[in-house]
Formats: sequence, structure tokens, C-alpha cells
Amino acid sequence: MLDFIARRLAIGLITLIGVATITFFLMRVLPGDAAVMLSGAGAGAISEQELAEVRSKMGLDRPLAVQFGAWIGELAHLNLGLSLRTGQPVASEIARRFPYTLQIVVMAMVIAVALGVPAGLLSAARAGSWLDQTLRALSVGGLAAPSFWVGLLIILGLVWLFKWSPPLFWEPFWVSPWQSITQLIWPAIAVGIRQLALIARMTRSIMLEVLGEDYIRTARAKGLSEKVVVLRHGLRNGLLPVVTLIGFEVSALFGGLIVTEAVFNVPGLGQYVVTAILNRDYPAAQGIVLILAGIVVLGNLTVDLLYGWLDPRTRIQVSR
Amino acid sequence: MSKSKSSKSNGTPSYPSRRSLLKGSAGALATGLTAATWQPAAAQKRGGTLKVSNGGDPPDFDVHQTATFLTQFIGAPCYSTLMKVDPDNPDRLIPDLAEKAEVSADGRTVTLQLRKGVVFHNGSALTAEDVVYSLNRIKSPPKGIVSPRKGLLGNVEEIRADGALGVTIRLAHPQPDFLMLVSNPFNVIVSRAVAEPLDAQGQGVKRQVVGTGPFRLTQAVDGQYYELTRFDRYFGQGPMLDRIQFFPIRGEVERGAALQSRRIDACFFFANEAVLDPLRKVQGVTALRRPTPTFINLIPNVTRKPFDDPRVREALSLAIDRDAFIRTVGPLAGAFFHSRGLMPPGSPYSLTPQEIKAFGGYDSLPGLGGDVAENRKRAIALLEQAGVPKGSKMVILARGDVPAFRDSAINVAGQLKQIGLDVTVDIRDAGAFYKMETGGDFQLVTHSVAMGGASVDQILGEGYTSYGGRNYGMWKDDTLDKLYSEQSRELDPAKRVQMVRRFQLEFLKTYYQINLAWVGYGAAHLNTVQGWKALNDLYANMQMDRVWLNA
Amino acid sequence: MSALLPSMADTPRLTRRTLQAAREQPLGAFGAVVLVVMAVLAIGAPWIAPYDPTEGNAALLNAPPSAAHWLGTDPFGRDMLSRLIHGARVSLLVGLGASLLGVCTGAAIGLVTSYRGGWADTIAQRLMDALLAFPMLLLALALAAVLGPSLPNVIVALSLPIVPRAARIARSSVLVLKASPLVEAAIVAGCSDLRIIVRHILPNTFAPLLVIATAYLGLAIVQEAALDYLGAGIQEPHPSWGLMMAGPATSLALTAPWVVVFPGLAICLTVLASNLLGDAIRDLTDPRLRGR
Repeated sequence: MLDFIARRLAIGLITLIGVATITFFLMRVLPGDAAVMLSGAGAGAISEQELAEVRSKMGLDRPLAVQFGAWIGELAHLNLGLSLRTGQPVASEIARRFPYTLQIVVMAMVIAVALGVPAGLLSAARAGSWLDQTLRALSVGGLAAPSFWVGLLIILGLVWLFKWSPPLFWEPFWVSPWQSITQLIWPAIAVGIRQLALIARMTRSIMLEVLGEDYIRTARAKGLSEKVVVLRHGLRNGLLPVVTLIGFEVSALFGGLIVTEAVFNVPGLGQYVVTAILNRDYPAAQGIVLILAGIVVLGNLTVDLLYGWLDPRTRIQVSR
Repeated sequence: MSKSKSSKSNGTPSYPSRRSLLKGSAGALATGLTAATWQPAAAQKRGGTLKVSNGGDPPDFDVHQTATFLTQFIGAPCYSTLMKVDPDNPDRLIPDLAEKAEVSADGRTVTLQLRKGVVFHNGSALTAEDVVYSLNRIKSPPKGIVSPRKGLLGNVEEIRADGALGVTIRLAHPQPDFLMLVSNPFNVIVSRAVAEPLDAQGQGVKRQVVGTGPFRLTQAVDGQYYELTRFDRYFGQGPMLDRIQFFPIRGEVERGAALQSRRIDACFFFANEAVLDPLRKVQGVTALRRPTPTFINLIPNVTRKPFDDPRVREALSLAIDRDAFIRTVGPLAGAFFHSRGLMPPGSPYSLTPQEIKAFGGYDSLPGLGGDVAENRKRAIALLEQAGVPKGSKMVILARGDVPAFRDSAINVAGQLKQIGLDVTVDIRDAGAFYKMETGGDFQLVTHSVAMGGASVDQILGEGYTSYGGRNYGMWKDDTLDKLYSEQSRELDPAKRVQMVRRFQLEFLKTYYQINLAWVGYGAAHLNTVQGWKALNDLYANMQMDRVWLNA
Repeated sequence: MSALLPSMADTPRLTRRTLQAAREQPLGAFGAVVLVVMAVLAIGAPWIAPYDPTEGNAALLNAPPSAAHWLGTDPFGRDMLSRLIHGARVSLLVGLGASLLGVCTGAAIGLVTSYRGGWADTIAQRLMDALLAFPMLLLALALAAVLGPSLPNVIVALSLPIVPRAARIARSSVLVLKASPLVEAAIVAGCSDLRIIVRHILPNTFAPLLVIATAYLGLAIVQEAALDYLGAGIQEPHPSWGLMMAGPATSLALTAPWVVVFPGLAICLTVLASNLLGDAIRDLTDPRLRGR
């Protein structure tokens, strides 16, 4: 078991290094640079010489390999560097915005699971009925709607129907929990709809499979009520793939999150990373992407470990 | 307003000021007099917090280095300039930090007398050294600092402190517009003690605000809000407000909604008419739009074929139906206004309708009765003459995040297709856009040029000289540069008007830049907000020192 | 395996099997029909669309739906219906292009490296893991900013996130099939690696790859729209559904909702169709379900 964990951790680490490398070089290939962006260009042509001086002060004129080495060195000390735009440590900027993003993700997942699993169960239990068909149609629809379009529609609906206006100040959860939940519920819904649909569909198809298995027939033959059959025996085995799905969907979740935060103007990581990329704020962009990718890797790792713990068969390495 | 020039007994002539954009009349500036300071009326209430929605986060707080209103709106209440525009009379300058400004007889020496007892937010006293450092910072920025407006002080030879409160500026040539230029709302006075060490690091005063203005920055939470608090040791009258809070709300719809629901008190930047118009109809809200010194030009890169051929450039100008442009881009970006010539709408330097109609395509301006179909036929003929085949591909570079840039390009592309050109738009984000534009890596670009201020030297100098900061098209023309310098030095106002008009006529002939329309930005506030006046210059009168809340 | 794998010479049988499949999977059939209609609209756009999608009528900006303009006009006075029809071209091209490019590239990488095994496999796996860890949109955003926002570049940018997922699927297929007797026999018989991959492994991987291709067709279209919203998308004045919702549209949404609603609906419908089709294909080809 330990060997298994160690192997998985090592793979995760290598993956992160790969992500770091790709991110770094991807950022540097972007045309224009922080000097151009921050020089307030647009009010008048800033001379190339002035730009060169700005770049030099920012350390952007060093050879790429040197800059990369410096960054990796900082990472080894758990230092994400300073933002080129604000001069503040990237880590503290991320720390300030992370709670909002995390809250949206958690709320979206809660909504998705709390509504998706029952919907899937219901669908599976009543397979073929009009209820099943309706739920299936809804979930396919939920998968199809672009999350930022949903977000836009939600905002328009809120403004039109309730004269809603966006919060001026986004309450952190620990300051006023209820306030922050009511503020973030809307972006959470927009983000969560896709997850809800996926979980409903997956639950349904897993349950359908499971319900056809032998041990279910046995349980039914034993005379147990349908509810017990479904919930106790079916669910336990069906839940694992759902968990897996959640783990793997984290990456897609972040994608939807990024645009949704832009639509709702939430001061979270998604908005920050887009601003960082568009402003060529390399340390910030690199730092955030690394963190996001790290979370994804962590998610995969957790799922792998969970699988390994719950299903001993996967622990056996397929020998090459 | 009196049209006569006042001439003082000691032989110092006073200079004609920037013309009123609204009234079209000339006015005189009494530079040597200390204007009566404004006193708040008894009925005005003290106290309260003004909540403003800004259009986004300011990238930083360094007003000298910035080009965006996002920074300037937050910085303006915190800083002072030497003189500032009189909100009740935008032709005139009234003292801010400089009590007196005198110009020598030959027009080349400006002597400023600073107010006594002015302190910065950190308690240190303002001295002439701070003024000298600030002006030098704008004119010749230290390494690693940029100054987009250094052209405004291009005529300055030397800046010297004379004692603790005196500043002497020596100009290379006389320049009637100089006082207006140096009083540009962006040319604030910073504390040398604070700025100098930060400049040496190449940082600049990006995260600190230490000024002499009526408010000081007390909180800045990136992405959330920014708070300014009354500065009790402010040298001037007021301010009445206790606090100003800025909330960065990027979407215009959301800003409008926030104002309607009275969550915020004011928003000083609306571009889109679809958001502004409903606000006009709301009870208790004042919404307005006025022309600002912002113009949209189509700029060909004259170093690339076929744009080096003036016939091609004229063809481009002929192809554009400016009335249709204004009707389409107006509601999207505020491009509702137009002028005849290169100066802002209503300027006394505007050309006559006869004069402007002589230039290809300009008769399509609203009200001038041009025949667009005829113009386009002529354009096609010119293109043929110049050897540009039908279906030639051209690309217009545009900046994606600002509607004025992007939507202008889209509209122009559609219009140029009517003369048989295959035009597409290349929309880029700001970083890539600037790199390409300043590097000359484009064929055509539509640029929305926002000037803070509308003095002749600013507009013509920055926008229409070979060496001006806005010469993205990289043209070079000694005749035009010479005409510009001549008018810049002309002390006789009547002669100067003639020279400026002649400059415009000469420039328009070249089609180095093709003017499309002028932009006016909107603003809206609750009626409880009193004492703010929208000036044509978007950046002027933003100190909020006379604003009070009638709660 | 796949009842749908056509033998091209046998058309009457093919038609019969297809109709049978359509009866079994009505939703999937619906999806297929919608996609075909979209494709027809896309190809026939210049003849079907009532107006020129790039020509604006300055007198009719943001006009609500009317007899002259069935779906209204946009902020530039351009006919919405025509723009939607032409937009089908761009969106379908992007969706199909990105999805196919991504699936083909990913499958190729996955098949070859996992069949070979050894270092190639390990490196490819780690690389794919790294790519998978990126949020899809960020990768596309950065690439689009790097390459410039032209149609081919956007297709490449959007195909990249699909590559690792397709590679994974291909890899799992290889792992299973490599141990099968058929493949072992082929190895013994001396068939080359390439031959084995193409003749024995690829056909069995086809169905899951097809499923993922249809799933990502929809996703690519959505991502393109998101790219436009963030300001890194396809050039104007070419109409594309995503582009139509960006820019002036969002500000005007309250007074002219048709500008935002219709392009979104078009995207929804297309993605829905491709998902339904993908589901149907999976249901039809999944051996475990075939017994029911």
C-alpha cells in the first residue's frame, strides 16, 4: 500500500513539474509583455528604449533559461514571487482570492450532488417512464448550455425580475456566512448545472448496471424492500464512480469557473488568472495555473488512493 | 464672458485660454490674479460617504505613468496640480498649488508662486523642490519610469526652484498654451521624498498615494474596493464629504443596475447608450453625456504599401459614410459627436462647412449633405489609378476590450468593403495590440485617442505632428511640423487662429489620419449628489472637493 | 463489436441497420438529424441566409424580431438570422475541427506509445497528465493569445485539451486488447506493429473515440464562445455564435435580449444534438448494454 502511495505521489510531482514548465514557456511566448502593458501605452508611443529600461527593472531581459531557473528556485522555497503588476507577493494575492473560488466550487458540488444523485436514482428506479425521459432530457440540456450563457441569463433574470444589482462587496465566508452564501449562490448555480447533469446521468447509468447485478437479485429474492435494495446495496457500489467523476471533473469545473467569475465579477482566482494572462503578469499567471493544476493533480491522486483503498484489484500493478 | 484681452500695467500680456467647447467664445485668463476662492454655501451639508462605481481595478496609482481613467479618477482627489480648470468657467484656470503664475514679456519665462503652508498627507511640507521633481519626472522620467505625456512639457528647457516657494520655468519658445498644458489633470505634484527612492528602484509611486489633495487613500483592496478619506489639513476649502469609496464593476449593465438600485451614488464613466438611456428616465437620477476630447481616427501605416500613396488614403476617407458610422458606433461607444477639422466639436478653430467638404469623404458628416455613393465611386476610381486591384486584402488592427476601438474597426471594415476591398478585422487583447501598434506591425488601425484637455498644442502636438506621441502611422512631414511650431509660438490670438486653421487644412490634405467621429462619455449620479459638474474634459474637475451629499 | 461499422458495399443492409438503430434510439436520431440540418445550413449559408451577415443597416439597430428580420438585428444593424446561419459554419468548423484534430492526434499518440511501451509510454503518459491538469480554457486562452485569433489557430488551440483525453482512451483500449489472443496470434505471425495497431486495435477503439469526439464537439463550440467572451476569439466581422454574444451584446442584453439569447440557444441546440448522438452511439456499441 505504501509503495502504491509513494508511486502515485511521485507521478503527481512529476506532473506538476511538467505543468510548471509548460506554463512558464507558454506565458513567455505571448506577444507583448508586462512592460508594454504596464507602461500605460496608448496615451502616446512609449519609446522602445524606455520599454527596455522597464523590462530591465522587472528582470524580463534576462535569458529565458535564467528566468526559469530563478522561478523554479523560488518554488522550491515555496515562494511564488512578486506580481509584476502590483508588486505584492503572488501567494498573498492568491490567498486572498482563493476562498471565493473555493466557496463557489464547494457550493456548486453540493448542489450538483444533492440534486444530481437523487435525480439519477429516481431516473434509474423508474427507468423508461416519462419521469425518466424528462430528467434525462433536462440533464442533457444542462450539459449543453454554456455556463457563462447561463450566468448571463441568470443575471438578466435577476435584474429584470428582482431589480437585483451585483454585490458591491463580496463577504468572505468567515465574516458573514449567510450573506456570502446568498451572494455566491448564483455563480455556483451557473457553474454547478453542468456537474449536476453529469452526476445525474452517471448515477443513472451506474445504478442501472448495478440494479441488474446478481447480488441485487439476491437481495430482492430475499424479500428486502425496493428502497433498501436500491439505497443500501446499490448505492454503495454505485457511488465510487461518481466520486471518480467528481475528481476528474475538477479540471472542467475550473474552466467553467473562470468565465463565470468574469460574468459575475467575483474577485476569485478565475478572474485573477484571466487578468494576469491578459496583463502578461507572468509570476501571477504562472503561480495561479500551478495552484489550479496542483489541485487537479491532488484531486486525481485522492481518487486514485480512494480507488486503491476501496477496490484492492486496482492496487495490483499491470506489469509491463 | 468678456472677449477682450486684459493687459496688465507691468507689460505682462495675458494669454488666450483654451476655448470653451460649449459656448464657442474666446475668453481671457487672468493669470496674474488670485481668483476668489470658492466658499461652500451655508445650505451645503458636511459629511457622508460617496459611493462610486469605477469601471474596473486601477492597474496602479501612479498618475504620471498612467493613461487610464481608472487610475486618474482615484488619484485626482488625492493630488493637486499647479493650477486647475475653473469648473464654472472651463476657459479659465484657477490656482491650485500655485497662487500666482506670471509670464515674462518675451513669453519664455514662467514664474510660479506656491501657496504657503501646504502639507502632504504624510505631514511633510510642500516645497518648490517637490514641484521641480514632479515636473522633471513628467518631462524626462527616470530610468524605468514612463511618462506618456512628456510631450506636453516638450517646450520646457529648464525648471528651477527659487527659494522655498518659487519655481521658475524656462521655455525654449514662447507658448501661449503652456499654462494649460502644465495644468493637465494628470500633471499632479508628488512628494519628492516619497517618489525619488521608489523611482530609483524603477517602481514609481504605484502603490502609494502621498499627495496634497483633499482626500487621502486609506484602503485599497484589489478587486474589491478603494477608499479615500477626508484630509483634514487640506489647504483649500472643503471637502464636504467624509469619504469616497470606489467599487470596481466591470460590466456597464451591472453599473447601471447598481446605480438604479441606489447601491452606489455615482458612476462617472458610461460609454454604452443602451445603459445610459434608461438611467435618464429614472426618478432621482441625473444622467448626461457630453462631448469629450476623444476622437476616433482610422490610421494607415504609411510605411507600408499601398498606404504610402495619398490617393489610396483619400480613397479610404471617401469610402466612409461618417453619418452611418456615428449612428452605429455612437450608441455602442459614445461616438455621437463630430467636428469639422481636427479640433473638438464646437471649437472656435473649427473649419467652415465649405472648407471641410473639400476633403474626400468629410461631406458625409451629419448635416453636410454628402453623396456617399458618389464618394465611393470616386474612391474606386482612385484605387484603380493607384493600381490597387479589386478585392485587395487589408486588415484593420483593433483592440478588443474597449468598444470604441473594436466597434469602430468592425464598422469601418464593413464600409470599406463597399469599395471592393476585402477587409477583415484583427482583434487583439491590449498587450498584443500595443506591441503591434507601436511596432508598426499593422496595415490599418482604428484608434480612439483620448486627450486629457483640449488645448491646441495638446491635440495637434500629440496627435498630428511627426514627433507627437500618437503618430502610430509613422508619417513624416516637415511642412506640417513647421506649421505646428509656428502656431505654438504665436502670441497674437487672431493670427494664431488663422495659423491653426491653416494647419488643419494642410493636414487634412494628406489623409495621414482619417477622422471619423468624436466620442462623448456619459456619467450618472443620484440627485442626492450635489456640487459635481461634468466638464468636457473627462479628467478635469474630479477632485470631488465641492461635492456634498444631500441625504 | 460495432453494429454500426459500415461495410461500404452493402448499402441496403446499412440503411436497414441505421433505421433500426434510429428506432432504438430516438433521441440519438433526433441529435443526428439536428446536426445534419446544421451542416446543411452551414454549407448552404450563402444561398439560404436572407441577408448579408456583415452588412449593417444603420437605420435598424437592435430591432426586435419582425417580418423583415425574423430574429431581429444586432447592434450593428445586421440580420440575426443570417448571422446565425453563417455562424453555423464557423462554429461547426471549429467544433468539428478541434474535436477531430484532438481525437486523431490523441489517439495516434496513445495508440503508438502505449503499444510500444517502455520509455515512450511513460513520457507520453506524464505529458498527457500534465496537459490534463490544465483547465481547458486557460490552455486555449493562452494559445489563442500566442498564435493570434484566426480560425485555424483557434481550432488548434481548442484541440489541445482534447488530445490527452483521447490518448487515455486509446491507451486503455490498447492495454486490454494487447493481451487478447487475436493480437498475440498476430504478433506470432510476424505482423508489423503498425499493421497490428491499424487492423486489430484501432477498429475496436473506434466507438469510444467516436463518443468522445461527439462529446468534445459540443465542448469545443462552448469553449470558443467562452474565448470570445474573454476577448481572445475569432475575428470580426465573421459571424460566429460565440462572438455574437460577446462585446456590445452583453451590455444590450436587457433592452435587446434576442441578441444574446438566440446565439446561446443555437449553441445549446448543437451541443445537445451532439451529446444525444454520442449517447446513442455509446448505447448502441457498448457490449454490456446490448444484452438488454
